[in-house]
Amino acid sequence: MSKEEIQAIDHSESESEVSFIHRLKNRIVDPFDDFLNADRSGKTDKAGKVFLLVPAFASTLIIILILAFLLFESTPILTSPVGGPGIIVNPTWDPNRNLYGIAIFVVGSLLCTTIAIGIAVPVGIGGAIFLSEFCPMRLRQPIKMITEMMAAIPSIVYGLWAYIVLVPYIKNVLAPSLQNNPLTGWIPLFQGDTNGLSLLAGGVILAIMLLPTVVTITTDALQTVPTSLREASLALGATQSETARKIVISAALPGVGAAIVLALGRAVGETMAVLMVTGNSLQIPYTLFDPTYVMTSIITNQLGYAFVFPLWRSALFAVGLVLMIMSVCFTLTAKLFIRWGMKTRGYI
Amino acid sequence: MSNFKHHIEVHNLSTWFGKKAILKDISCYFEDNTVTAIMGPSGCGKSTLLRTLNRLNDLVPNFRREGEVVFRGENIYDMGYSVYDLRKHIGMVFQRPNPFPMSIRENITYGPKLHGVKDEDELEKIVETSLKKAALWDEVQDDLDKPAPNLSGGQQQRLCIARALSINPPVLLADEPVSALDPISAAKIEELIVELKKDYTIILVTHNVQQAFRVSDQAAFLYLGELVEFEKTKRIIEAPADERTEAFITGRIG
Ligand SMILES: Nc1ncnc2c1ncn2[C@@H]1O[C@H](COP(=O)(O)OP(=O)(O)O)[C@@H](O)[C@H]1O
Ligand SMILES: [Mg+2]
Repeated sequence: MSKEEIQAIDHSESESEVSFIHRLKNRIVDPFDDFLNADRSGKTDKAGKVFLLVPAFASTLIIILILAFLLFESTPILTSPVGGPGIIVNPTWDPNRNLYGIAIFVVGSLLCTTIAIGIAVPVGIGGAIFLSEFCPMRLRQPIKMITEMMAAIPSIVYGLWAYIVLVPYIKNVLAPSLQNNPLTGWIPLFQGDTNGLSLLAGGVILAIMLLPTVVTITTDALQTVPTSLREASLALGATQSETARKIVISAALPGVGAAIVLALGRAVGETMAVLMVTGNSLQIPYTLFDPTYVMTSIITNQLGYAFVFPLWRSALFAVGLVLMIMSVCFTLTAKLFIRWGMKTRGYI
Repeated sequence: MSNFKHHIEVHNLSTWFGKKAILKDISCYFEDNTVTAIMGPSGCGKSTLLRTLNRLNDLVPNFRREGEVVFRGENIYDMGYSVYDLRKHIGMVFQRPNPFPMSIRENITYGPKLHGVKDEDELEKIVETSLKKAALWDEVQDDLDKPAPNLSGGQQQRLCIARALSINPPVLLADEPVSALDPISAAKIEELIVELKKDYTIILVTHNVQQAFRVSDQAAFLYLGELVEFEKTKRIIEAPADERTEAFITGRIG
């Protein structure tokens, strides 16, 4: 404060040009001084703020640029008389007849993601509760390490495994046994002949791929819940499982929410494994055993020769745009949910 | 309930964490409607003793125990003794306030709901009486649905007392309940403890001789895991029989 006052006095007394250089020097040097002294009290950390602002700004810019680029590339189809925003509810995709409805892919992706999340989230949270609350200390670290390694396996490897194990299993064992069993045979969800390449296969393989993410992030979140909360619950006569379900999960909800957001994002965007096992048939799936076509698959499969019709190519970018908007919406919804969770828990 | 003269009796209790002996052959008892202070320098095993009474140490890996803790005539460490039943009858307040990250109301109803109270009116009544007993009702009656972690430290600790009282346990364990609080909140909680003595058996761990003198009827002085003295508080403080006790009371150790 006093230093600045002295400088201010200096400025007023010195010549205007000198004062300008002086000021310029202060402008440039002071922030660095402040940055280096940021841990001392009474210093404002201007440079630090700038340095942090740059990456924050850059990532925002990147997202905006990607959106702009997708929007630009999909403009032809979105403004064309054969296209327009209506393509999102139109189920007929036939570039040869100039039909570019993308509803099949949107529905396929949504269903696949729903199945995957429906499996991965409960199973993953269950696994995390086991790891964090019930697993003996000595086993926890090795199991966590293996789980983390599972997350690093390339998705094509999961796809290959699903192709030779999961798909035949669905075709030869699961579908026949469900359809022939009088208890489950009448359920519409289980109808239809199948060669194994199906919505179910896509959902299951996605779920398997999401599991490690859900388990590790949820475990970490559960581990940050203070022991004193567990003890308070136990001291009231709760069992360990009641404590885990009613206190630990609830206290860790923001972290668990984050795990689900990441899983959602990965699920909609996942390409290779799903492409290999869903059958890629242009139809809306009505049963678990119907084949399906997801958004990422259509882009991967057709972008290579879509250049023959500009509208075709543009329609594929429109699929990408919808995908992008969907994942942004998922993330924002989840964030809102987490915020609400933190508010009601008094964290913020 | 009062068929037994003492609610809790400790017989020749020794405990270990791994190889380290923490409590050494302790015997004492806690009478109905009295406040017993457990005093001693930090690290002497006060918390360990307290947590052995509601078996909270059971979950610590490597914890080992010999000897008995008799509650209403039964050894709580007997095979087949229900630890959940035990904890239903022995409430606990911790050193640092640890409200659940939920609303004030949910903090209080958690215990009763666990033990099968479903009726909304009854739960509502429990919320009110527990908060009144903990001298918190006037401050929070309009904010029952606000998150408990937003309360001040002193209010949080009184909420934790109310939470412990919500299942109406005859015995209340308190582990240095005011040591993390400001003097005004601490005084409030001290008053509260004296008030609660009418209905509860209270075992209070404290580091503070003055506090023990103000609130307790009998006191146990622990030193390095040994029970050095176990007597009426007045007696211990006015005429300590052991020089270690005297050293602690006069502030030379601790
Ligand atoms: N969970 C634990 N695992 C291993 N050692 C412990 C544990 N809890 C306490 N101890 C040890 O037991 C001794 C007594 O601790 P404690 O009962 O907390 O003392 P006090 O409450 O009197 O300060 C200390 O030496 C402490 O290090
Ligand atoms: Mg202690």
